[in-house]
Amino acid sequence: MPIPVLIVDDSAMARKMLERALPAGWDISITHAANGHEALAAYRAGKAAVMFLDLTMPDMDGYEVLETLRREHLDCFVVVVSADIQPLAQERVKKLGAIGFVRKPVTAEKLEPLLKEYGVEIR
Amino acid sequence: MSATRFSEEHRDALQEVANIAMGEAGASLAQLLGAFVRLSVPRIQISGAVSLPDALGSLIGSGQRVTAVRQSFLSRVQGEAIVLFGEAGCAEVADLMGYENTLAAGERREMLLDVANMLVGACLGGIFRQFDMDPGFSAPSLLAENTPTERLLSAESLDWSQALTVEVHFGLESSAFSCHLILFLPERSIDAIREALDRLIAQL
Repeated sequence: MPIPVLIVDDSAMARKMLERALPAGWDISITHAANGHEALAAYRAGKAAVMFLDLTMPDMDGYEVLETLRREHLDCFVVVVSADIQPLAQERVKKLGAIGFVRKPVTAEKLEPLLKEYGVEIR
Repeated sequence: MSATRFSEEHRDALQEVANIAMGEAGASLAQLLGAFVRLSVPRIQISGAVSLPDALGSLIGSGQRVTAVRQSFLSRVQGEAIVLFGEAGCAEVADLMGYENTLAAGERREMLLDVANMLVGACLGGIFRQFDMDPGFSAPSLLAENTPTERLLSAESLDWSQALTVEVHFGLESSAFSCHLILFLPERSIDAIREALDRLIAQL
């Protein structure tokens, strides 16, 4: 069974860049979401065992998504992918339950150690 | 002509390029002020020059009083960067930066010029680095002080028939401080920006 992976970013280009940075041999099925509302809807439809989440988005931002997941005790590995490189931003998202923080622009080199740490098996 | 060839895909890509650049600028500002900076979603639009004051008003809200700093840049792409500081937050910036007394007008100007210079350098540096361009900057100069936004740019002050604008906003959580950074790129620069974006998109 492929792992459901959700890519959340308001920019289509950013979503494509992330998709390109994912390991080629990882058995996944990818869904895109352009804001927090779409992300939560996709999560509830079972499309997010792993979520790559941008912070700065219109309508509902990444912090609100993390808060909602936490409040509702939802089970999902969230990796925040953001251009916001303030140390406090990283601290906050980790407190809200994100397992990792990757600085934009995202590359395969930045993602790989994090995915390995969480035991992602890549053929 | 240029505007019609600037597609939704270009707008989306430029928004992401600006987003990445403003992250660096925001981190520098956070360090300078010792406070957490909230970043906005960058707004990209193409306006006719006649409507630039209106465009500013709609971006910032008309009737607001601001102090504005202007800096021009030149590369394969040329244009103007304007930083607008909301009047209400200016005094708080001085506090955050550790000034003990109320600033004299000259000191206040110098402080805002420094902050603007830092934001423009980080933001434009970040954008142009992604485009493999290395712009030169003019020294920042004061465009207006305590002036309503709608009176900032009259059509004749920018001799452009069309401009691409990129707007980002920096706010603090527990302070009235607020500032906008707006890039104005004249029509003749739009093609170069579009070509740079095409190169980025082609790499995907």
